[in-house]
Parts: sequence; C-alpha cells; structure tokens
Amino acid sequence: MSDLNNDEIRALAKAVGLEILDSDITDVNYSLNAIIEAMDGVDIEGLNAVEPLAIILQNGEAQS
Amino acid sequence: MSNGGLVFLSATELASKIRDKDVSPVEAVEAYLERIAQIDPKLNAYITVLADEALAEARQSESDIASGKNNGPLHGVPVGIKDQIHTKGIRTTDASKIRADFVPDTDAAVVEGLKRSGAIILGKLNMTEFAMGDPITSAFGVTRNPWDLERNPGTSSAGSGAATASFMCATSLGEDTGGSVRGPAANCGLVGIRPSWGRVSRFGVDGASWSLDTIGPISRTVEDCAVTLGAIAGRDPRDPWTWDVPVPDYRAALTGDVSALKIGLVKEFLDPDVLGVTKPVRQGVLDAAQLLAGLGAEVEEVSLPLAPISGIASRIISSVERTSLRPEWLRERPQDFHHNTRIAFTAGELIPSQIYYKAQKLRALVRKQTLDALERYDVLAMPIDSEPATIMDMRPGVRSKEAAIQALRRGSYRGLFSMVSGPALSVCCGFTSDGEGKLPLALQLAGHPFDEATVLNVAHAYQQNTAWHLERPPI
Repeated sequence: MSDLNNDEIRALAKAVGLEILDSDITDVNYSLNAIIEAMDGVDIEGLNAVEPLAIILQNGEAQS
Repeated sequence: MSNGGLVFLSATELASKIRDKDVSPVEAVEAYLERIAQIDPKLNAYITVLADEALAEARQSESDIASGKNNGPLHGVPVGIKDQIHTKGIRTTDASKIRADFVPDTDAAVVEGLKRSGAIILGKLNMTEFAMGDPITSAFGVTRNPWDLERNPGTSSAGSGAATASFMCATSLGEDTGGSVRGPAANCGLVGIRPSWGRVSRFGVDGASWSLDTIGPISRTVEDCAVTLGAIAGRDPRDPWTWDVPVPDYRAALTGDVSALKIGLVKEFLDPDVLGVTKPVRQGVLDAAQLLAGLGAEVEEVSLPLAPISGIASRIISSVERTSLRPEWLRERPQDFHHNTRIAFTAGELIPSQIYYKAQKLRALVRKQTLDALERYDVLAMPIDSEPATIMDMRPGVRSKEAAIQALRRGSYRGLFSMVSGPALSVCCGFTSDGEGKLPLALQLAGHPFDEATVLNVAHAYQQNTAWHLERPPI
C-alpha cells in the first residue's frame, strides 16, 4: 500500500471537520502512515473471521 | 531519627511508626514538604503541592491517633496523586493548558479510597499532556528522572515515578493505559502495578482510553504497592465496569513463598532479533528468573507469537478512543496543545475504521493466546522495554515514519497486558553498569485477571531476596 500524501490526509481531515495546520502536516503524515503501514504488515491467517473485542468482559456482562 | 530521615522510610514503615506514636503525621508531612522544596526544583515532579491542606489533614490525623482512632493502613502517610485524577476543590490539569483551571467538585473514587485508608494527599503530580506517551509535552514543564536528569522518567505518570523515587512522597497513584504506571516504575527503579481492568474504579479520572485505562500505585516496595492497591480496589457503582469480586488482603498475600508456582518466560520479548531487547535488560530478566527458580518456582520459556504486535494494536485502539473523548478541544483550541500531543490526537482522528477494527480483532487473538498460556502458568515474566530509560529528545516533532513504526512496535512489551486485561507489575531487577551510567532495569510480571495477589507475591519474594529497592538515586 502506498503512503497517503498530504492532500489526501487533508481531505480525510476535512471529512471529520478538522483543519491541519501547515506546521503539522508532515508530522501527521509520518504518524498516520506509520500506523497504516504497521498494521498493513500484520498478516495473520484467519484474522478476518475473528470477532473483534470491543470491550473486555470477565463474566459475560458488566454490572450496572 | 531526624525528621528529614522520615522520608526514607517505606510507606508501611512510616504507617507503623505513626500507629505506634513514634512519629506524628505532622512531622511526616513537614519532612516531605521540606524534601519537595529541596528536590523538586530539579525534577519538576509536582504540579500542585498541597502544603496547607496536607498540614491541616496531618493535624487531624494526629488528633485521631491521640484519641485512639486509626483510619487504616495508610493513616497519616503522605501520598502523591497523578494530575489526571480528580481532587475535590483542587485543580486537576491533565498537564494541559486546556485544563489548567479545572477544579473538580468531587474526589475520584481512588482518592476517596486513599482517604478512607487514612492517607494524606500531599499534592498533584506532573504527567505528560493528556497522558500521552511523549515525555516532553506537559504544559507545566518536563519531569526529570532522578537517576539521570537527561533521561525519560517514564510516561505518562512521570511525576508519580520521579516523586516516589526521590522520596518526595511515600507512595503514589498513576494511571496506566499502555504502560503509564509500569513505565515510570521501571525507569525510576520502583514497583508499579497495572491492576486488572475492572479492579479499580475509574470514576473521577480523566480518561485516556476507556477500554484500556486503569489506575494503579507506584511505590518503592512491593508491600507499599500492595497496601496502596488495597486502598483503591473494589466495586464502585459509579464505574459500571468495575467487578463485584472480592478484594483480597494483598499485604497478607505476601508470603514470599513461590515454591508451588509456575512462571513462563515470554520467549519473543527476550529474543534480540524480535524487538531489539538489549543485553543488560535481557540479562536482568534472566537473572531475576534464575533467582525465582532458586526460590522453588518452576520457570520455563513460553512462546506468545502474537506478543510483538500487541503494541501496534493497543496504540491504535488507545489513539482512537483518546481522541473521541473530547473532540471539540482539537477543533476549538488546537493552539493550546503541545505540538506532539496535537499530532498524536490528529492522527488518531484519521485512523481508518478498518484499521481500528483490525486492531480490535488482534486484541481478541492476543488476549486469547495469552490467557491460554496462563492456563499453564501462574505468572508470565518478561522485560518492560527493550532498553533502560533513554535520553529525552527535547525537540518537538516526529522524526520519520520509520521512527514512528519503531515506537509502535516497542510498545508491545507494555501493550500486551494492557490488552489482556490482567494485572501486570514492574519491579526493579538491577542497574546498568556500563557506559550509560547507573540506570534501573526492570522485570515485568503478569498474571491471571483479578489475581493481583499472586503477581505481587512473586515480586515480593524477588524483592525480599535482593537489595535493588534500597538503592537511592543520586539526586
């Protein structure tokens, strides 16, 4: 997967109502592309079939 | 003993002397205030020192003792609190400009717990801005490591580590999302435990990452750590994710007997080719394992193939959760963040949903693999990082994409048990003796969810048979 460029990152930010300062864009680029590349490199057989764990439960349900 | 010498007692030793009326709580608070005045200008561990309040509490505590009333195992003991934890009527800043004037109208549950145990709140401790991992982001200045002022004291509970190690409080509280209790404990030569998720109420604690946050003690001895944890643990209806399971007497569980225990050494974290663990760190953990084996524990290597990716997954989860807590701050007050915090929050906002979802899937796999291993072991042992405390880079900014990837991977030592949800503890297991100078090394011990007692007991057995915890930083 190729890195997102600064224009693409600004477009993503615009979609969530964020404006990225000129002084920040290079560092955001490094950080975001690092996350995407690091996760892209994780290839585990059967991962798609795994149900994600959104919250830790010990006994089935939280008490309230 | 001179009043100045009081600060060098452990919290439990001090509590014992107060209980026996050998020391008054006022003397103890005065000694710590004097120590803070002397040392903190070099370390910047405190954001707010509660001198008047602590002295008033100490006088009440002294009066209670005189009338035969003892409020608990920390009666009269001065404690420091990370400035992410609410204190009624006392500002709680998150080390940020944005929260600089925030004054909570209630105590956090953990503060209530400490007060019920008789502790005296000495002050609010510095941290990294909004509990992010970068050591230079506090709006109140950088906290220094008492072992070497140029090095990272550990994040994000930097002040909790620095103040406890330099005898500016008897014990302290931190908050651990991806290692923020264990890291400062490791870098400052202390004991810190991340309790099981759901063991300690998060009520009144500014969140960093709701599904990963825990509040835990940082102390000089395992016994102090056990007593402090006992003061804050337990079900709290105000935090619906706390569990109604009994809180054992952690101190009583410190038998020092590990002869019936089986300890698994996590192979991947000890292989220099996987995450780059350095020789002194590796040797420190292996020596500690050998000592525990000599005490009768059965120690063997265990493989957790997914452990090295847990830092990536945990960091992605915490990044997304963190930015969702108060998204308006990034939009309305971006200039009030430290540059590095703003970058981290912005990147967290932009993580694609499928990346976040993949991280949650990995969390399920990592957790299952680790809990399966814990079916065969009572405790897992491993390093807390690849190297001892590093020199802080005071320049804002991200150096490169590659550096950012490396930081994600390195977070695996701590991220593993952040995702597993069981307890994980860091205890000092020696010091470097090469050209880096004398820096603390650390052993991480982790266990079954809600079995903090066994983890603490193994650490106690180790500490009782070593003298690393008696070393003092050159401050």
